[in-house]
Amino acid sequence: MLKRCRPLLGTFVEISADREDAIDAAFEAIAQVHRLMSAHEPGSDVSRINRLAHQRPVEVDDWTARVLERALYWATQSGGAFDPVRAGKGALARGAIPRHRDQPQPEASHWTWLELQGRSAQLLKPGCIDLGGIAKGFAIDRAIEALHRDGCAQGLVNAGGDMRGFGAHSAPVTVVEPRQRRPLAVVDLLNSALATSGGLPDDQGRLTFEHLGGTNPRWSSVTVVAATACDADALTKILWAAGEDAGRLLDAAGAKALAINHDGEVEAVFEVAEEHA
Amino acid sequence: MSRPGAPWFTILPAAVAAVAPAPGAATVYLSIEAAQRAMFPGASFVARPVAFTAEQRKAIARASGVGGFDKLLRAWDVRSGGERAGWFIVDRVLGKHEMITYAVALSPDGVVKRVEILEYRETYGGEIRNPAWRQQFVGKRFGSGVHLGKDIKNISGATLSSRHVTDGIRRLLVTYQLLLSNA
Repeated sequence: MLKRCRPLLGTFVEISADREDAIDAAFEAIAQVHRLMSAHEPGSDVSRINRLAHQRPVEVDDWTARVLERALYWATQSGGAFDPVRAGKGALARGAIPRHRDQPQPEASHWTWLELQGRSAQLLKPGCIDLGGIAKGFAIDRAIEALHRDGCAQGLVNAGGDMRGFGAHSAPVTVVEPRQRRPLAVVDLLNSALATSGGLPDDQGRLTFEHLGGTNPRWSSVTVVAATACDADALTKILWAAGEDAGRLLDAAGAKALAINHDGEVEAVFEVAEEHA
Repeated sequence: MSRPGAPWFTILPAAVAAVAPAPGAATVYLSIEAAQRAMFPGASFVARPVAFTAEQRKAIARASGVGGFDKLLRAWDVRSGGERAGWFIVDRVLGKHEMITYAVALSPDGVVKRVEILEYRETYGGEIRNPAWRQQFVGKRFGSGVHLGKDIKNISGATLSSRHVTDGIRRLLVTYQLLLSNA
C-alpha cells in the first residue's frame, strides 16, 4: 500500500491505495471539491451563491448541486439541526470565513431561504451558506470513487479524521478525546465511513465549540459510522445539535454513533435502541 | 447494520488511554527523491541551497508575516530538455502538535503546482517548544539520523489544521520572489 498526504480542505488529507496514478486522481477529486465549495475563494460556487444568489439564480457545478441537495435533505430531515444557512451566518459572524467585497450582510438565518432547482441555486433574501459540515465528507466519497474507478482493490481516504475505506481488510481507527488527544476507543472500519465532530482546543488548551454552533450538554465529541462520508459528516452535526432526537435519523441511515462525555468516558449512543432493533 | 448487542468498537483500557501515543511517532510518505520523481517526472535536479543572511530572513519574515524558519532553504533548480522546468523546494513547519516536512513544486514562473507532505511527526507535551528538542533537527537533512517511531494510526477526533503549511507556502513564495525569481 502506498500512502500520500497533501494539505487540502484546511486539513491534511491522507490517501492509501496500491496505485500511484489512482491516488493522484483521488487527490484531484478532493482538490476539485475544494475549488468548488471553499467559501474563501471568491470564484467558488459557494462564494458565488453568497455574493449573487439573492439577486438571481446562480448556476453551479453538478457536484455542488449534489452537496446542496444533500444539505437541504438533512436540514429538512433534522428540522434544521443541520442548517447550511445558519452555519454560514455563524461562520461569517465569527470570522471563520470571509465576506467578499460584493457580498451582502446575511439576513437569512434559516435553511428554508435557500432553494435549489436542478443546478440552479437561489437565496430568497441575502444569506451566507457554508457547506463545511458536509463537503469534506462528499470530497472523501469522490476520492473513494476515483480509487474504485482506477481499479484499486483496497483504499482509505482520511481527511483530518473523517475517513472512508474499502477493500477486504478493515482499517483500525483510533478515536481520541479532543483536548489531550488521548486514545479512548478503536473502531474497525470496513467498507464504511466515519466522521467525528467535537471541541477544538484553543491556545490555552480549553475546548471551543463555536464551529459546532455551541456546546453539547453531555458530550465533548461525537463519532458517526455510516455508509458514506457525506452522511457521516452531516450526522455528526445533527447528533451534536439534536442529541438523542437524532436516533431516528441515524437508524434510518443505517448509521451508528459513539460519543465522548465531559468526564472523558466513551458512550455508545442509542445502544438500547439498537438492542430492540 | 450490526447484530444487536454485537460491539462495533472497543473501549481502550484506562492504562492505555492514560498514555498518549509515543512522542516522535512519525509517518513518512515520500523521500525527497521520490517526491522529485512524482512532481517532475523525467526531469533532472540541480541543488541550489540558499543560506539566508540575517537581513534576508528579516525581509522574508516581514513580507510574508511568517517568521521562525530554517536558516537554509533547500531548493532545487529543475531542468528538462535544457530548460528550466520549475523549482522544487523542501521546507519544515512546526505546529502545536506536529512537525511537518513538505515539498512544493513551483512552475518556472513561480506558481505552486503541487504540494506533498513528506513526513508528519507527532509531538506531545510541548516538546517542540523545548529548545533542546528543536536543536536535534538543526543542520540535519531529512531522514538522516532522525529516529522514526511506529506509524500513527488513523486518528479521529482531533482535527488538525493545515494552516502552518499554508503559512509556510506563503513564506516560500516570498522567498522565491526575493531570491530565486531572477536566479
